[in-house]
Amino acid sequence: MNTTSGNLIEKIYYDDDIVKKFLLATMVWGLAAFLFGLIAALQLAYWPINANMEWITFGRLRPLHTNAAIFAFAGNAIFAGIYHSTQRLLKTRLASDLLSRMHFWGWQLIILSAAITLPLGYTQSKEYAELEWPIDIAIAVVWVIFAINYFLTIRNRREKHLYVAIWFYIATIITVAVLHIVNSIEIPVGFLQSYPVYAGIQDAMVQWWYGHNAVAFFLTTPFLGLMYYYVPKAANRPVYSYRLSIVHFWSLVFIYIWAGPHHLLYTSLPEWAQTLGMIFSLMLWAPSWGGMINGLLTLKGSWSLLRTEPLIKFFVAALTFYGMSTFEGPLLSIKSVSALGHYTDWIIGHVHSGALGWNGFLTFGMIYYLVPRLWKTELYSKKLLENHFWLGLTGVLLYYISMVTAGITQGLMWRAVGKDGQLVYPDFIETVVRIVPLYWVRAFGGTLFIVGFLLMCYNIYKTIQLAPKEQKAEGTEVSRSGFDEKTDKTHRKLEGMGLVFSVLAFLAIAVGSVIEIYPTLSLHKYITPANIIEPYTPLELAGRDIYIKEGCYVCHSQQIRPIVSEVLRYGAASTVEESMYDHPFQWGSKRTGPDLSRVGKKYPNLWHFSHMMDPRAVTPKSIMPNYPWLAEKDTDFLVLRKKLSVMKQLGVPYADDIVANADIDAQKQAKLIAEDLEKNGGPRNLQKKEIVALIAYLQSLGQKGKQ
Amino acid sequence: MSDNNEKFHEYDGIIEHDNPLPTWWLWTFFLTIIFAFLYYIHYQLAGGGTLQDELKVAMAQLEKEKASVVDTSPMETEDSLKEAFGKDGILAVGAQAFASKCAACHGQELQGLIGPNLTDKFWIHGKGTRMDVIAVIRNGAPDKGMPPWGPVMKKDEIYAVAAFILSKQGSNPAGAKPPQGEEAP
Repeated sequence: MNTTSGNLIEKIYYDDDIVKKFLLATMVWGLAAFLFGLIAALQLAYWPINANMEWITFGRLRPLHTNAAIFAFAGNAIFAGIYHSTQRLLKTRLASDLLSRMHFWGWQLIILSAAITLPLGYTQSKEYAELEWPIDIAIAVVWVIFAINYFLTIRNRREKHLYVAIWFYIATIITVAVLHIVNSIEIPVGFLQSYPVYAGIQDAMVQWWYGHNAVAFFLTTPFLGLMYYYVPKAANRPVYSYRLSIVHFWSLVFIYIWAGPHHLLYTSLPEWAQTLGMIFSLMLWAPSWGGMINGLLTLKGSWSLLRTEPLIKFFVAALTFYGMSTFEGPLLSIKSVSALGHYTDWIIGHVHSGALGWNGFLTFGMIYYLVPRLWKTELYSKKLLENHFWLGLTGVLLYYISMVTAGITQGLMWRAVGKDGQLVYPDFIETVVRIVPLYWVRAFGGTLFIVGFLLMCYNIYKTIQLAPKEQKAEGTEVSRSGFDEKTDKTHRKLEGMGLVFSVLAFLAIAVGSVIEIYPTLSLHKYITPANIIEPYTPLELAGRDIYIKEGCYVCHSQQIRPIVSEVLRYGAASTVEESMYDHPFQWGSKRTGPDLSRVGKKYPNLWHFSHMMDPRAVTPKSIMPNYPWLAEKDTDFLVLRKKLSVMKQLGVPYADDIVANADIDAQKQAKLIAEDLEKNGGPRNLQKKEIVALIAYLQSLGQKGKQ
Repeated sequence: MSDNNEKFHEYDGIIEHDNPLPTWWLWTFFLTIIFAFLYYIHYQLAGGGTLQDELKVAMAQLEKEKASVVDTSPMETEDSLKEAFGKDGILAVGAQAFASKCAACHGQELQGLIGPNLTDKFWIHGKGTRMDVIAVIRNGAPDKGMPPWGPVMKKDEIYAVAAFILSKQGSNPAGAKPPQGEEAP
């Protein structure tokens, strides 16, 4: 259209070196993320796999796995794809080589610091936002560097109109920044510890607004952007529908942001927020499928390519998994379906069909497409690629089917109530033992996925090794286009205005965020004064931090839903007041073990001691790890003054003398518990040990209200 | 869904078509929006039942069913228990249940660990009659750390465990915990 209009033809050089860097990082961290996942999966099937090493117990390994998969594997993949495709779509080199490299190395350092701090137990316990405050700041800084580099590149563009892929990238950059900053407002207690400013239902609301939209704006929108570039490129087919792109882009970003509370159905979160979470998730179904339709219809008529260009298979499978999980998502958001599926492995299956099937396969397709082009060679082996695909596909399917079966089985067992009004499976462990065989199937599926991935690594290694050694940068001839286009279509005009477009995208995500979060910030509106609880004692608070450090929340919830079988199993449904001083909230999202919100005073202190040393001593067949180090490590009593003063600053009503004498008070309480342990035949002199603080916390659960 | 083959835009060689939105897709979108509005209006504005209301209804229903079941079973007395405890094979069932649920606190040999020794004549709650033992198992002694097993174990299982415990009276296991509570006559 515009090439004939006499525009100047310029020769420019794209920065492909940064793309190569991010691609290689994707593969290295991908391997790490998958291996962490496999070890975690094996631990659930056979608990001794952790070899009694505290650093890799499930509670610490699972956050490492999720962070590595999301931010290291998927993160590096989207940066590679965004930097590669954006330069070509905008016909300009990235604005600053320096910023690109700061982005790359900064991000790798963040990943490295996560890989060190998470196994050591430094965590905020907020899912996918576990990293402590210094790393949070680093993430914000690197993200801003990325954003500046990106928007400057948009400003430098030679193509006036922004292609749909760019829309999705813009939405990603803006929203992730907002999510990360709002969810990470916290007050430091020490160099690697902090308490969030939000408590209870506030923290739950903000956290799952963040958590859900991390899926939306880190694992969905950027990948849709990549899809819109690499699928038509690899298949050499036209994109099916421009207007579908418009409708599904705006509806997706506007609706997605509201859906967070579907993670909190049947909790003590105010019901209007739960209902919003559910209905917006339902309305999200069609906008999500818009992307799948546009992708699959782009590939329509190119099925012969599946033979000649087998990497297309990855794209077809990725889009299919995307369609599957974006249908399953709204389904699971329906209150009555959530009642069955929440806290079970169904959710784990759902997440992995998205992460392995959609994000994984799209990334693999992109890598197979990019590496030969970047290194100016041919792929080493299409045969290996085929094998990777089928192994991976079998792996994901085994993973998904086994986990959905496990989840539904266990969910049905939990809720089964007999004619006599009693639970049919009152022993929680019975429902765990039943699904352990499925944990083995899942681990096997994961192994197949990894074997396929290793085939890719080898294939890529050989491809690069056999590539011509002389990699001379080749220039590309480009000319400015679109600047003289006349249009009266509003959206077309908008596509030519990067800044206005970005502002509108920000407004689209701001509406739902403000409407859902703002009301819960005035917590007092939802509190019944008569039900206000006592804050934790200093020792209980110390124990709570150990609970957080060991990642107990990863497997144990603290939220009893208003459902008959839950009330029978765990006691009265949880209230808003019961978590009102919980900075951060510990509601959890998965019950690999039973709910703990009313475990206080249920068992003697010695029971807890024996249980933490070896869970099988009191619960035969338990799959929980041993925590022997809790009886060896000392509680840091002195830091309690600081901890209480931060809590007081956050609005927890501690009297000044309690704060000033926190360490003395805690030692007194510890002595009482240690004496009780000793009196009943436990070991002597445990009063300084972490186990005593943890027991104090566990015994306080559900005991803080006016009885 | 016929393909509109006209080139609309082009970016880096990617050609964009402008096919109409699939009708079924559009209708799916509209229907979810309509449903969402109706749902919100019903439950949040028009006074539809809350989750707490639903729980109350379900609990009342459960109590009703429970009442109809309990009514038909005969009253428990020391004599009825004596008969029930004499059933064949009951001790084997009780031993198994004891090992998995009670031994953690009372010891494999009932010698007492966290909880008291169950083989001596000393009892903390009651005097060691069948009715007493059943009551402690069923209702627990929450202040002493004994959980109530009534909601967890079925009636037959509780009987079996109680029968098993009483069968071990005077077995004098090794490492027995010193007596707690009062001696039964």
